[in-house]
Amino acid sequence: MTETTDPKRGVSLWVQVVIWVFVVALLLLVAVTLKKRQQGTVQPGDTIPDFTLPLFSGYEYQGQSEVKLSDFRGKVVVLNFWASWCKPCEQEAAELQEAWEFYESNGDVVFVGADYVDTEPEARAYLKKFGITFFNGPDMGTKISQTFRIQGVPETYFIDQEGTLYYIKIGPFISVDEIKSIIDQQLQ
Amino acid sequence: MIAEFGYGIALVSFLVAVYSIFAAVYGATKKSASMVESARRAMLLTFPLISLAAGALIYLLVTNQFNVAFVYEVTSRSMPTYLKVTAWWGGQAGSLLFWSWLLAAFTSAVTLRKWDRDIEFLPWVIVVCSVTLVFFLGMVIFYENPFTRFWLVNGSVEPHMFAPLNATIFTPDDGNGLNPLLRHPGMVIHPPMLYLGFVSYVIPYAFAMAALITGRTDDRWIRLTRRWSLWAWLFLSFGLVLGGRWAYDVLGWGGYWGWDPVEIAAFMPWLTGTAFLHSVMIQEKRGMLKHWNMILVILTYALVIFGTFLTRSGVLSSVHAFANSPIGPLFMGFVSTTLVASIALVIYRWPTLRSETEMKSMLSREALFLLNNLLFMSILVVCFWGVIFPLISELFTGQKVTVGPPFYERATAPLFSALLFLSAVAPLSAWGHSTIQTLGRAIWKSAAAAAVVTITLFFTYTNKIGALIGFFLIALILFVTFQEFWRGTRARQQAQGENFLTALSRLMGRNRRRYGGYIIHISMALMAIGILGIELFQTSTQGALAKDETLTISGYTLQYKELASWEDRGEGVNYTRAVVDIFKDGEYIGELNPRIDYYFDSQQNMTIPGNRSTLKDDLYVLLVDWQPVSAVGATFKVYVNPLVNWLWIGSLVFLVGIVFAAWPDRDPAEEPARRSVTQRANQTSAADD
Repeated sequence: MTETTDPKRGVSLWVQVVIWVFVVALLLLVAVTLKKRQQGTVQPGDTIPDFTLPLFSGYEYQGQSEVKLSDFRGKVVVLNFWASWCKPCEQEAAELQEAWEFYESNGDVVFVGADYVDTEPEARAYLKKFGITFFNGPDMGTKISQTFRIQGVPETYFIDQEGTLYYIKIGPFISVDEIKSIIDQQLQ
Repeated sequence: MIAEFGYGIALVSFLVAVYSIFAAVYGATKKSASMVESARRAMLLTFPLISLAAGALIYLLVTNQFNVAFVYEVTSRSMPTYLKVTAWWGGQAGSLLFWSWLLAAFTSAVTLRKWDRDIEFLPWVIVVCSVTLVFFLGMVIFYENPFTRFWLVNGSVEPHMFAPLNATIFTPDDGNGLNPLLRHPGMVIHPPMLYLGFVSYVIPYAFAMAALITGRTDDRWIRLTRRWSLWAWLFLSFGLVLGGRWAYDVLGWGGYWGWDPVEIAAFMPWLTGTAFLHSVMIQEKRGMLKHWNMILVILTYALVIFGTFLTRSGVLSSVHAFANSPIGPLFMGFVSTTLVASIALVIYRWPTLRSETEMKSMLSREALFLLNNLLFMSILVVCFWGVIFPLISELFTGQKVTVGPPFYERATAPLFSALLFLSAVAPLSAWGHSTIQTLGRAIWKSAAAAAVVTITLFFTYTNKIGALIGFFLIALILFVTFQEFWRGTRARQQAQGENFLTALSRLMGRNRRRYGGYIIHISMALMAIGILGIELFQTSTQGALAKDETLTISGYTLQYKELASWEDRGEGVNYTRAVVDIFKDGEYIGELNPRIDYYFDSQQNMTIPGNRSTLKDDLYVLLVDWQPVSAVGATFKVYVNPLVNWLWIGSLVFLVGIVFAAWPDRDPAEEPARRSVTQRANQTSAADD
């Protein structure tokens, strides 16, 4: 091989340092995240710590602009994490609303939508587009989703009358019947 | 019995692969040809061994052995046999075995070639391939064993490989069945195509590492792996396109690409692979960019493993849900080790990778290729940042963020446009030296024609500036490329006195890579038409219709006629099918039948759109919901996706182009000499060069 430049010149020390710092930082970052993810979501049987969800105007609960999980003691809570940018969420939006309308009048089930990493105008447009009327608000600072350690959206958590998680649905619901059957098993 | 046999064989192949690593290292360091040969034979043995293990697994799958946990998870009695076979890669454990099998096949193909001139590479190629194989087989054997069976132990069912004390085997009546979303033909081939692409990139990487380890860093390793990287690129590209088509047909959101982290994980090695494909030509022709090619091939390999890791470890939030799995930390360890080792090697050999010539003109072919590489790298940086940023944010601020399609679209659109522009200009530039005058003279006719097309589109189709720029670039590529074909053929006609078709076919046949590349450029332009159409002009609406009610969108009117629901117990599916009449500008043009298929075994729905596809647009109708009691009303979601068909047409042209470029051929320079039969045989055996 013919070389036209000085064959002895290697990579200078400081460039090497930069490269290694970058590589190690990257690997550490992924490793730390991996360790967190390995915990998985909260599990059925876990008692859910109380949290507060601010609500979008027009989606208030009994005139309150925010709700606490503890406000719903004695009711089955269907907590749905969604986002306006989430395509699979659109698949279940109509079903969730229909299920909500089915239970709304009885008062023993409450549907709560937690809007995950979103902007309000887009979120409102989404709610309007699918005619959603159940309580909805932004998950500020992703606090609630971190409590549940959600893996993505949509995910729906079913919490029983005592505040204990009893069912998790990862991904969109297929049908209204699916939602109803999960709720009814707890109501009976 | 079969399960134990499969597991035993997998274990043996693991041990054989481990042996081949040690034998190869020993042979290389002690200069023992017989040990290297022993390592090569051991490597060759892994393929039939893993094939046997795979055969055992397929047998278990097609014969409904539901006492095997993996069979239970991915198949059910109602599934047709071909789907039971493809369920092999439908779950984590099986797909890891599939990966190992492909890798063994490719490594065997490589080790079977003639090695006389490159014998010093052989042991190290074996080491790199075997280390990768041992890693994947190790996961199959120790963590994600597809042969594990269900045992009844003290009244509870547990999965174990070997019988626990006082346990009896437990056989469920039926299996879970493959996720219905995965029963689409596109999905049957999409994962293996991606895996093929991923695995084939191990080979160029292995040669690059061998070159670094042995210090033989001329362009030999690149010439040896040129065709491998083309095939790898073919499979990966085709895998991505099939995934897009599958999403379009099955996922029911009217799109083909969602910038989901998992999609990006498969897209990133494609970006570096595409850059590599271009930059190796500079090293071959000009002896430049040697460092860069090493970095690209290492990046591609790292991204392949990293991508596989990301999708399977749950690190990224994604719609492509893989269950949390114990293999995450292992992958992490493997990625880290190989990355650190590769970087260390490159740094060690850095001085020997210097360029032989210098870049003289900023408009020369090599300069434009370099620019092309920089653009691909910029897109990679955008993608990588989008994937990694949420992790950084979560770690340092405690707040989760997601990076959605708008970020990627805005950040990459100008880069993709620049790439389109380059693929129009670069073929016209010369190696070594080009000036603005020579380029201008070559391009002005095509540019003028493209401008005419754009102005026509402005008056007849759209006044969106982004779209017009896009259409101009697409037209420019098409005109320039066709002009290149025309010019080359005319020159040959005049020189050889051949008729047009003979001249064209000989011209292309003698310069496969060049003209294959041009066909690929044409295909990219065609695909860009589809992408522009759906990204900039898609319209959608949704509505609940009673019988005979209508819904109007972009000149189409849909009228809901009827709905029927029936069960096919044999197939295990409940079909709900709507009949919708379609009118265009008031005129009846046919009916569409959007469907929802409900699979009993996995209790999952699959939404099948009714799609009327033309070159101008797709009318894409989804049945979202219906009232089951009376079937009088149904909710439909309707998309009009202009020009999207060009995306699929472009994909087919792409396939033609790449197969044309990668097809093993006789070396035209040698042809007139009519060399002796033995030499010719040697040449053919080196066809995988």
